[in-house]
Amino acid sequence: MPVTLIKERFPSKVGEVTLGATAEQGGTRDSVVVVGGDNLLPFLHFEGKVVNRPVIAMEVTDIVPPWNEAIKAQFGDVLDNPAAWAKKCVDEFGADLIYVKLIGADPEGLNRSPEDCARVVKDVLAAVGVPLIVVGCETPEKDNEVMAAVAEATAGENLLIGLAEQDNYKSITAAAMVHKHNVIARSPLDINICKQLNILINEMGLPLNKIVIDPMIGGLGFGIEYAYSIMERARLGALANDKMLSMPMICTVGYEANRAKEANESVEAFPDWGELAERGVLWETLTATALLQVGASILVMRNPAAVKLVQHNIADLVEVAEA
Amino acid sequence: MTHEGLENEEVTTMASCLVKFMPENRTIEVKEGTSLVKAAAQAGIYIKSGCGGKGSCGACKVTVLSGHPEVKGTGRLTQEEIADGVRLSCQTFVYGDVTLEVPPESRLQEHQVLMGDVQKGLLKETEQDLLEKFGLHPLATKVHIQLPEPTLTENASDWARLQLELRRVLLVSSKPIDIPLSILQTLPESLRQAEWDVSVTLTDLEHGYTVTRVEKSNQRPPYGLAIDIGTTTVVVYLVDLSTGQILDQQGTYNKQAKYGDDVIARIVYAVDAPENLPEIRKAVVDTINELTDKILDRQKLQAQDLCVAVAAGNTTMTQLFLGIDPRYVRLEPYIPTMNVVPSVPAKEVGVHILPEALVHSFPSVASYVGGDIVSGTMVTDMANGEDITLFIDIGTNGEIVLGNQDWLVSCACSAGPCFEGGGILFGMRAMPGAIERVNIDRETLDVTLKVVGGILPVGICGSGLVDGLAKLREAGIIDRAGNFQMEHASHSERLRVTPDDKEFVLAWAQQAGGEKDVVITENDVKNLIRAKGAIYAGIRSLLTMVAVDVDMINRIMIAGGFGNYLNVHDSVEIGLLPDLPPEKYEFIGNSSVKGARLALLSQNAWREAAELGRKMTYIELSVGTTFMDEFVSALFLPHTDLSLFPSVGA
Repeated sequence: MPVTLIKERFPSKVGEVTLGATAEQGGTRDSVVVVGGDNLLPFLHFEGKVVNRPVIAMEVTDIVPPWNEAIKAQFGDVLDNPAAWAKKCVDEFGADLIYVKLIGADPEGLNRSPEDCARVVKDVLAAVGVPLIVVGCETPEKDNEVMAAVAEATAGENLLIGLAEQDNYKSITAAAMVHKHNVIARSPLDINICKQLNILINEMGLPLNKIVIDPMIGGLGFGIEYAYSIMERARLGALANDKMLSMPMICTVGYEANRAKEANESVEAFPDWGELAERGVLWETLTATALLQVGASILVMRNPAAVKLVQHNIADLVEVAEA
Repeated sequence: MTHEGLENEEVTTMASCLVKFMPENRTIEVKEGTSLVKAAAQAGIYIKSGCGGKGSCGACKVTVLSGHPEVKGTGRLTQEEIADGVRLSCQTFVYGDVTLEVPPESRLQEHQVLMGDVQKGLLKETEQDLLEKFGLHPLATKVHIQLPEPTLTENASDWARLQLELRRVLLVSSKPIDIPLSILQTLPESLRQAEWDVSVTLTDLEHGYTVTRVEKSNQRPPYGLAIDIGTTTVVVYLVDLSTGQILDQQGTYNKQAKYGDDVIARIVYAVDAPENLPEIRKAVVDTINELTDKILDRQKLQAQDLCVAVAAGNTTMTQLFLGIDPRYVRLEPYIPTMNVVPSVPAKEVGVHILPEALVHSFPSVASYVGGDIVSGTMVTDMANGEDITLFIDIGTNGEIVLGNQDWLVSCACSAGPCFEGGGILFGMRAMPGAIERVNIDRETLDVTLKVVGGILPVGICGSGLVDGLAKLREAGIIDRAGNFQMEHASHSERLRVTPDDKEFVLAWAQQAGGEKDVVITENDVKNLIRAKGAIYAGIRSLLTMVAVDVDMINRIMIAGGFGNYLNVHDSVEIGLLPDLPPEKYEFIGNSSVKGARLALLSQNAWREAAELGRKMTYIELSVGTTFMDEFVSALFLPHTDLSLFPSVGA
């Protein structure tokens, strides 16, 4: 007797968000990136269609980042030049997007002016043809000024800018609305706050297809299972036609994975753990691949070696259907 | 000399002027220098003031018909208006006799607030009386007995003689008639002093009668007392048992409040030391007695004229009222001492009614669904008929009952005292001076209010808070999460930041009956959101557990001490109540005391109460995660899942 596969059909799908704008669209990008759009649980090809494959955004910071040498060494001498660094990410490592984090704006650190920050973003835009994601230094008041300046300076580029959070979503949303960008809505591993924030942002007038969810994640070994279940609920909500949960998700994999002690300690300190160079790569890779399985659309990554592995993984997952 | 001089001086500064208000033709005397708006308030005429007396809003226009009051500002009045005698009443001061007219549009008045949205979804308390259905057959009765005088040959005992005659009058043959010792002790003299013509009061229960009083024959009807023992408030009705009429009613705060706001705090206090339980018991008995004495005094009655009482309270209140150790109500697995409560002679309870009269208490269902809910369920009549009814009693605890003639389930959730005015900076119970309706102009943020009793506002009651929360949201003063939006386009002075909190001024001090501005703070808003979230989560959890879809509910009965009205539209707007058509809703006010009255008057009602207590299934919400999940997603206006509130627009 033939076995019939039980297929589930969902009434809705994840919304699509377009990042970047080409010259015809009022921007300067070579091409745009579209994320979301799937009507299935991740990669269950027999049930639906993977419309847009997951993409990798590589992290670039405006000042030399405090990362471990195993990662920094792979970039050579470009870390003090965001434009060159971004170009290298695209040309050599195949990044789909560049994620610019303006940590130099931190009032406790270099306290760079909003104008300086905007200039860095303009430089990166000039250096690469892929769309950009830009976030501030995670100091809400400063970020509000910085992102307003960045949004204005890059009007028309259709960036993805962040971060809008429950207690601070208004000014960045307003900036995105005025200058035609997309917004990252970040909630602290909480499906209710996630949804509420989307509602609040949407009510200000930003369309739902201009919002990307950052559910916040935990890295491998540091709460990734919480992230997994929250993202699963969001995905199921989207498929069940909950419009306020139907945005594609962005995951800050590089940041979370590389906070782990396991991604930073040397083999000398922990002989059982094996070489850091390999271990760090795997730590970030496994964090990324686990989250791919639950519906991450944009992976923000750091370690070029991990990026390479995850690119293969994505290709394998998507090609099953194409084969 | 100096003394005299001072006195003279005082006389001159105290010079007073006569101010006459038209069209009322009301004249009052005020001190020189009083503003017209204040003078009007003293005359009982309330003038609107959007800006709080700064002369900028122009809402308080009056027309001076005669006299020359001093004008300190004319704001945006036109030259024409000024020539016509129009003045801003907050900027115009009396220094001589004045006659003025207060035009309708300047008046802060009931009808003006009521006009606004034509009372969309505003429900008045229903007056449906189930007495007809149950039939009048009270728990106590009073009969007139004319006894034949005993003789040497007709020598039955006094009690046998009385009993025989009672059987004849009451038309009973086998049902026992008892007489307590205390009545027997005085029976011989009572009969003889009355020359064998007596009025006899008896309790009437299924298993028999008990004589509670023998007195000289009279025409006074038997009276009964219906008591609602709430955690926060106690209400007493005086009922004529012969007609069923409510002759008087009185309510006040429960004196137990000083031992804690909620039942948990009360229990903790009651079991803390051996002397505490009698003390906390006395507090509630004293509360009831004070109310009773006030009514007796007003109605020129004696305590002995009250021949039965029925009390309805939550499980803890019932236990404390009877002096029963409540500690296990609080401790897991939350076991009450009894659900069916014995009826006890008043002299044992200490209630000021006929000492031998019985005090009945409604049965409970569980530790957190008590006799007040059984009483309310009876009033809803939901256990008769196929329609599925949802009954919600919104008090310090929110209790919810769902079902029809075939099944009834109940649950309780802790909402906190918000809707009774607790935990809110200017919260108060629904009594004169409480704001019960709020309207906020979306552009200017000017406020119009309706106050219970039509007097100056001193605080906000439950219905005002529901209304206020909805209007704050509609006007964009708060976002859906309850955060104040300080950058509101109106730049109204009503929206302000204090060292403690962010707040919105509902009534400026000069328009309020107190010394301070009446405000609602961000903290109040967050408390309200938690309270409404708990009630709604309770409703959703109960529906989920019995797998009933919200659309299957045929009617929703709401009880609670909100005030005179429940605004269903606003209640749905804030996500307190499910988004169902307004015609499905009914507001039944204090259902607990209403059920107590029914029980007083009808044996059938009292039997049904016992039956309901047995029949109801209690669902403990603290088991499992359903309630917590529902609660967290309900902490948003109206709800995180907007699809549950399709009628609520953005």
